[in-house]
Amino acid sequence: MSLREKRLMSELKSLTQKTPDLIKIVKTENLMTWLIEITGAEKTLYEDETYTLQFRFDTEYPLKPPEVVFLQESPVHPHIYSNGHICLDILDESWTPALTVESVLLSLISMMSSCKKKERPPDDSSYVRAWKKNKFSPKKTKWFFHDNKV
Amino acid sequence: MEEKKSNLIVTIKKWHTVSSWTWGAGDDNCGICQMPLDGCAPECQFPGDDCPIVWGKCGHKFHLVCINTWIQRNINEPTCPMCREPWEFRDD
Repeated sequence: MSLREKRLMSELKSLTQKTPDLIKIVKTENLMTWLIEITGAEKTLYEDETYTLQFRFDTEYPLKPPEVVFLQESPVHPHIYSNGHICLDILDESWTPALTVESVLLSLISMMSSCKKKERPPDDSSYVRAWKKNKFSPKKTKWFFHDNKV
Repeated sequence: MEEKKSNLIVTIKKWHTVSSWTWGAGDDNCGICQMPLDGCAPECQFPGDDCPIVWGKCGHKFHLVCINTWIQRNINEPTCPMCREPWEFRDD
């Protein structure tokens, strides 16, 4: 069994046995694509709002990060584009193989929790317009990480 | 009274011995493959000499095969997957 398969099976097992609050595993029929719901934490701007995330693991996982996007509606947040792409350093250059699906989910919940104002990134419309032409993966985007406050 | 000594003569036909080993890494799992450090990484067939573990100067430990695949990705500036410090093998 490959490193990717073995890692994903062990992650799935521990995440199913002990799923943290605000997280719900929706579908993992295919080990390489997972759908997971997260709910905004209490007393935050996203309280009781539920969003669906899609995780895709290519053959280089866990040496490379998974591709993580919001499906359907994405939360209105300064680091989340309206096409579901997320600007988060650990999904890009700051990824390390010690991070897991669970730690990514907790980072996203925490990123949403610290948000003070629901708004889209300033370049949302131009980014999404460019994306609509060929629907590239967020892993192809050259992200600039400039704000670690939200 | 004279103490009687009897010498019991036994013949050992066979015996079983049991031993156990560990890398001395506790019950930790490898932070890369998530398998037990005393177990075996997905690329290895058997735990033990086939799948040794190594320590970095930062104190974090991994299966040798696992940290090697990670280092090869970032050959110029390898970092520890756990603490992001520059990765250097600890000399023992």
